[in-house]
Amino acid sequence: MPEDRDWEAYKVPPTRTPVSERTTSVPNPIVFIQTVFNYVIDAPVTFVREWIERQQAKNKFYYYHQKFRRVPDLSECLEGDYLCFFEAEAQWRRDRMVDQEIVEIVRERLGACKQREGPNQFQNCAKEMELLAQVTKAYQDRYGDLGVHGNARTCLMKQKHRMMEERKAQANASQ
Amino acid sequence: MAAMSLLLRAAAAWGARRAASGARLPWLAGAARLPGTAGRASAAGMRGAGRKKHNTLVQFSAPVRHSSGHGKRMFIIKATSFYDTRFLNLLRFYVLLTGIPVALFITYVNIFIGEAELAEIPEGYIPEYWEYYKHPISRWIARYLLDPPEKNYEKEMALLDVEAKKTELRLMELEARRLMRHRGDGPWYHYETPDKNLVDNSMKSTPDN
Repeated sequence: MPEDRDWEAYKVPPTRTPVSERTTSVPNPIVFIQTVFNYVIDAPVTFVREWIERQQAKNKFYYYHQKFRRVPDLSECLEGDYLCFFEAEAQWRRDRMVDQEIVEIVRERLGACKQREGPNQFQNCAKEMELLAQVTKAYQDRYGDLGVHGNARTCLMKQKHRMMEERKAQANASQ
Repeated sequence: MAAMSLLLRAAAAWGARRAASGARLPWLAGAARLPGTAGRASAAGMRGAGRKKHNTLVQFSAPVRHSSGHGKRMFIIKATSFYDTRFLNLLRFYVLLTGIPVALFITYVNIFIGEAELAEIPEGYIPEYWEYYKHPISRWIARYLLDPPEKNYEKEMALLDVEAKKTELRLMELEARRLMRHRGDGPWYHYETPDKNLVDNSMKSTPDN
C-alpha cells in the first residue's frame, strides 16, 4: 500500500459562517442522510476494521529504516580500484533516491498548502513555492540531464563542468 | 414473419384458384398475379394447382402452431463457440485452482498477522536484515529465501575483484609480451633455428657461381 498522506496538513480551517436560525419545521434532510450513512456504512466498516486491528495487536512487530554507513566518495577513489567504485556508486544511487524523495515531500507540502488556503494560496504559500523552486533547481543542477544511464561518474563529470563554468564566470566577472 | 407466410399461402391458394379458373379465361391469369408475389405465387401456384385439381374451397391453413410467447422456433446458423467456451472454461479453472488458495492465504496473512509498524531503531540494537521490510510475506521471503544484503554485496564485490585481477593480469601479460618481443631479452619469442654447421656453403664458396 502506498504511504498515506498527512491528512492533518490538508485540513481546511473551519469556516466562520454563523449558525442560522431555523425558520421551517421541516427537518433537515442532511441529518437524516448522515444518520443513514452512519448506521449503514460507517458503523459496520469501523466494527470490522477494529476487529481486524484487535487480531493484529496480538503479535506486534516492527520494521526500521536502514541506516547506511558513509563510504569514500567517487572522487576519493584511486584509479583502477573497482571495489571503491562499486561502493561509491551504490552510495550515490542511495543519495539520489533520498534527493528524489526530498523533492516529492516538498511538492506534497506545496500541494497541501494550496488545498488548505484555497483562494489565498498565492499569498500564503509563497514560502513553500520558493522552497520548491530552489529544491527543484538544485536537483536539476545536480542530477538533471544525466539521462537513464547516469551514474556516479557522469554526475562527477557534470559537477566538474559546473565548477569550471563557475570559475570562468568568476574570472569574467572580476575582469 | 408468421403473418407474412400466412399471406403468401393465401396468395398462393388464391392464385391457384385463379389459375384453375383461368383455363376458361386466359387473360385473367396474367392479370391475377399480385405484383410482389409473382415468382412465389407461380411456384406455389404450380403446387397449389397440382394439389387442388378439383375446384374445391381453399382453406387458409397454417399447419405450424405458434405459441404466443416466443415466436417461431428458428434454427439460427452461426459459427461454433465450442472451442472458445471450452478454452475460457479451462482457463478459468486452472487459474482459480491455485489462485483461490493463494488469495485466501494472502487475505489470512493481511487480516490476522498484519503489517509491521515503523519504529525508531532502539539504542544499541542492530536489527536483523529482514526487519527492514513491512509486509510479513516480504519479511518471510527475505529471511528464508534470499541471502542477506551484506552477503549479496560481498558476493558482488568478490566477483568484481576477481574480474579486476583478471583484467590486470591480462594487461600485464600483453605488456610483457610486447617488451619481450621488442627487446628480445626474455624467455619468450625464442625461435628454433637450424645449427650453423649444417648449412651448405658450397654454392657460395667460390666467387664465380
